[in-house]
Amino acid sequence: MEDWRDLVQVLLNGVMAGSVLMLPAIGFNCIFAVLRYPNFAIAGFATIGAFAGWVANAVYGWPIGLALPLAFLASGAVALLAEEAAFRPLRAAGPLTVAIASVAMTILLENVIRFGFGNDLRGYDLPILRDWRFDGIRVNPQQLQNTGYAIVAAAALFLLLGFSRLGRAMRAVADNPVLADIKGVDPNRIARVAVFIGGGLAGFGGMLIGIDTSIDPLTGFRVVLSVFAAAVVGGLGSIPGAALGAMVVGVGEEMAGVVLQPAYRSVTAFLAILLVLMFRPQGLLGGRN
Amino acid sequence: MMQTNLGRRAALLGAAGAASAFAIGGRAFAQTQPLVFGALPPLTGAGGPYGPAMLRAAQGVVEAANSAGGVKGRQIRLAFEDDQTNPDAGVRGARKLIDVDRVQALMGTWASSVTTAVAPLCWENRVPLFTVSGADSITLLPHQGHIFRTQPNSRLQITTGSNWLIAKGAKRVFHIAAQSPFAQSSQEVMTERFSAAGGSVVGFIIYESNKTAFRSEVDQIMRARPDTVVLNGYRPDVTILLRELFRAGYDGRRFTFAYAAPPAIFESLPNEVTNGLTTFQPSPDLNSTAFNRLKASFGSTDVDPYSAQVHDHASLAILAAAKAAEATGTGIRDAVRSICQGDGTKVDNVTDGLKLIAAGQAVNFEGASGPCEFDERGDIRGTKFRYDVAEGGRYRMLELA
Amino acid sequence: MEAYLVAMLVFAGLYALMALGLNVIWGLAGMVNLGLVGFVGLGAYASALLTTKLFWPMPLGWAAGAVVAAAAGAGMALIVARLRGDYLAIVTLGFAEVIRLVASNEIWLTNGTDGISGIPGPWRGDVSPQGFNLIYLGIVWAAVAVAFILLARLSHSPFGRVLRAIREDEDVAAVAGKPVLWFKVRAFTIGAAVLGAAGALYAHYNAYIAPEGFAPLLTIYIVLALTAGGVGAMRGAIIGALFVMLLLEGTRFLSGAIPGVSPVQKAALREGAIALSLILLLRFRPQGLIPETTRTKASP
Repeated sequence: MEDWRDLVQVLLNGVMAGSVLMLPAIGFNCIFAVLRYPNFAIAGFATIGAFAGWVANAVYGWPIGLALPLAFLASGAVALLAEEAAFRPLRAAGPLTVAIASVAMTILLENVIRFGFGNDLRGYDLPILRDWRFDGIRVNPQQLQNTGYAIVAAAALFLLLGFSRLGRAMRAVADNPVLADIKGVDPNRIARVAVFIGGGLAGFGGMLIGIDTSIDPLTGFRVVLSVFAAAVVGGLGSIPGAALGAMVVGVGEEMAGVVLQPAYRSVTAFLAILLVLMFRPQGLLGGRN
Repeated sequence: MMQTNLGRRAALLGAAGAASAFAIGGRAFAQTQPLVFGALPPLTGAGGPYGPAMLRAAQGVVEAANSAGGVKGRQIRLAFEDDQTNPDAGVRGARKLIDVDRVQALMGTWASSVTTAVAPLCWENRVPLFTVSGADSITLLPHQGHIFRTQPNSRLQITTGSNWLIAKGAKRVFHIAAQSPFAQSSQEVMTERFSAAGGSVVGFIIYESNKTAFRSEVDQIMRARPDTVVLNGYRPDVTILLRELFRAGYDGRRFTFAYAAPPAIFESLPNEVTNGLTTFQPSPDLNSTAFNRLKASFGSTDVDPYSAQVHDHASLAILAAAKAAEATGTGIRDAVRSICQGDGTKVDNVTDGLKLIAAGQAVNFEGASGPCEFDERGDIRGTKFRYDVAEGGRYRMLELA
Repeated sequence: MEAYLVAMLVFAGLYALMALGLNVIWGLAGMVNLGLVGFVGLGAYASALLTTKLFWPMPLGWAAGAVVAAAAGAGMALIVARLRGDYLAIVTLGFAEVIRLVASNEIWLTNGTDGISGIPGPWRGDVSPQGFNLIYLGIVWAAVAVAFILLARLSHSPFGRVLRAIREDEDVAAVAGKPVLWFKVRAFTIGAAVLGAAGALYAHYNAYIAPEGFAPLLTIYIVLALTAGGVGAMRGAIIGALFVMLLLEGTRFLSGAIPGVSPVQKAALREGAIALSLILLLRFRPQGLIPETTRTKASP
């Protein structure tokens, strides 16, 4: 760190890295907020989204702007299917049983993709743009665009939650399902919406990861630990928390190369979790315990 | 009714048997037990991008050998298990192949950890092990001659690569390596080579593989202003690093192992990113047809170095089994060096090799991955390296040295 | 074939031992531990290093493996005991990844990704490979028997009853005057010790360990074993481990028999089938094959 520019660069890199973690983390917390269980299948949903978008873009020639919503719909639908077919009957057995089933689900989804597409790495049909440079600091227009997509998706969710009837109902169920039920909100319907949106955001984020790297059946699995860390750091069940947590983890992982060693990238995510939980067991923006 | 049914079934079975015996040349001993080999490639997990093609290469060789009449009239069966790129799963898979399928040779292990984990099972059960793993420690195991490694040992590879780069005028080299059994030793070799030649390794990073962002690592590379970057990792990471280097506007030389950027990389990266990328790999002589034959059998896609090596694993095992007095693990182990080195007739495929061996002639197998000569530890020796440059979505050979 | 069956029974025994360890932490004390492979790895590395570098006798190495893992478990428990289950799941998952990364990068101590080879096994080399297999089969299942008897007694002791009370409702247990944290730390320590011992035995059976061997895959198998067998019941942990081994190895033969699919598709079908079996098992038998029978568990 000889130069303030180096620090700015690392922070910027961290924000870029964090913005692709943000949507899967928000999806994870969105499902958690309503259903109160950690859905580890988020990695599988991310991979499904990445592949759905790839088929639309690379096979059928759709532009990225159209392929991304499709990634959202496809992974949302898969998440909903997984919830209804596999997880819902297990809710009575407790949140941890559902969590374990979701671990199995992510392996199942990974192998569904593997069965259909094989292990080959694939890239989207997209030119790769050179960085812009500002006084020695480099920003990539494509990553900036990805960050933009992520922010648009996250903002859409905030608007939905904050200003629509559905959003109010979702927040009501998240706060107190029993009370919401009494007030005439159907918790099952809300749960389905939350799972669809959560899975969809994971898939949307999965495709953004794919645009930035390349995709294979392990795409979601590679980022899943960072995504969990982001969700926990921000506070389980907190949507703004997930966004903040993703930035903390993204910046932390890029800092690892400078402060620790690049070979210990994942360790920073874990250290971030420990640090935050020691002082705030409910996470940075988590409200309740 | 029942009688006629049975009769009909027996007749059908007989016809089928006759047909299959005819298909394999009508040899009298077609009914004897097939000779079984085992493949243990990674079909899932981190090695997943490599394993399927490796297995296909071995299967192709076995098919060719079977249509050439097999080994002394015995057909060959290739059993395979997925090692899941995990030593625990690899050991269980190897147990199954050795104890249930009773394989006489094992081939195609990829991850160094899997190879080292299954190696004791191989030497204890007298099953030779053919591998592509790069860790130098593998052939140092007390394997009593059971391990044959077609991947040149990593010190040899990186020394050769460094010398070539020095000859091409590289002065300031940056080495970025995934944490692996050869990251550190590669760095030692490179530092020694380059400082002896008046250049230097201006930066060295060991990164965590299988992550999705390496931007700050690339920043470090850019700051060091190297004329050459050596990418010492595997496909998923190298794909991301190449993309990041392009974005950052790096315009120096990018040099990597051919397995890290096999021809399939053109599927996942646009040409403007790959253009100018230089790769190197062990190679047979140019006039060897084994590589081109393998390429043809793979259809349109090009062959990666691991598939070429596993093609040779299967060929070596089959020819050694044909040469050995008894086609057992020990027989194969002892016969390998007699069919791939020496002054025998040069052959590069099992069809010709089996014919010559059956005629009592000496053969010297030259494979798709190199001349396949092994030293006493089981390491490959005397191999040449070929250097290719990526141009417009394909590789063009620069040099064979 | 016999050699293969014996080897798989050895692996099943090692998995059973791990499932027993996990059962103390998760089944009795109700603390999810998705980082169990980290403790297994600690035990394996401790014993492997002490026996190969300092030439300790094997039984001492195994004990050291248990002690090191237990110490780490105690430390871990102190930090995480007050976390809720879902946080705990993620923190422990991260812990195991840290252990794996340290084992990969601290080459001076662990030999890095090269791993440690040549770990001695009792009478290995002096007897035939199958003889060694049989000896190890005896050792592993004796260890399972000892762990089972001790842990079953523990489970029915007052200590075990308090743990279950904590699992069912921590606040009630605290109001009843039980030092909840202290109980949790002890349970975590005992469980981690069993996991460490399992890791040590694992290392000396395979003669080789490497960081890649302690990937989350193994955690998933053991969690699968415990859930299949029935969380809470010690017998369930053993039955579950046998069931998982049957599933892992049985799918190998089943997938081999499927015609018309490529090898990669076979591998995908196999892993997918393993995952699907767990989901179906949870769906149709959420209490596991051997449900826990205790008076403390109130019916909802």
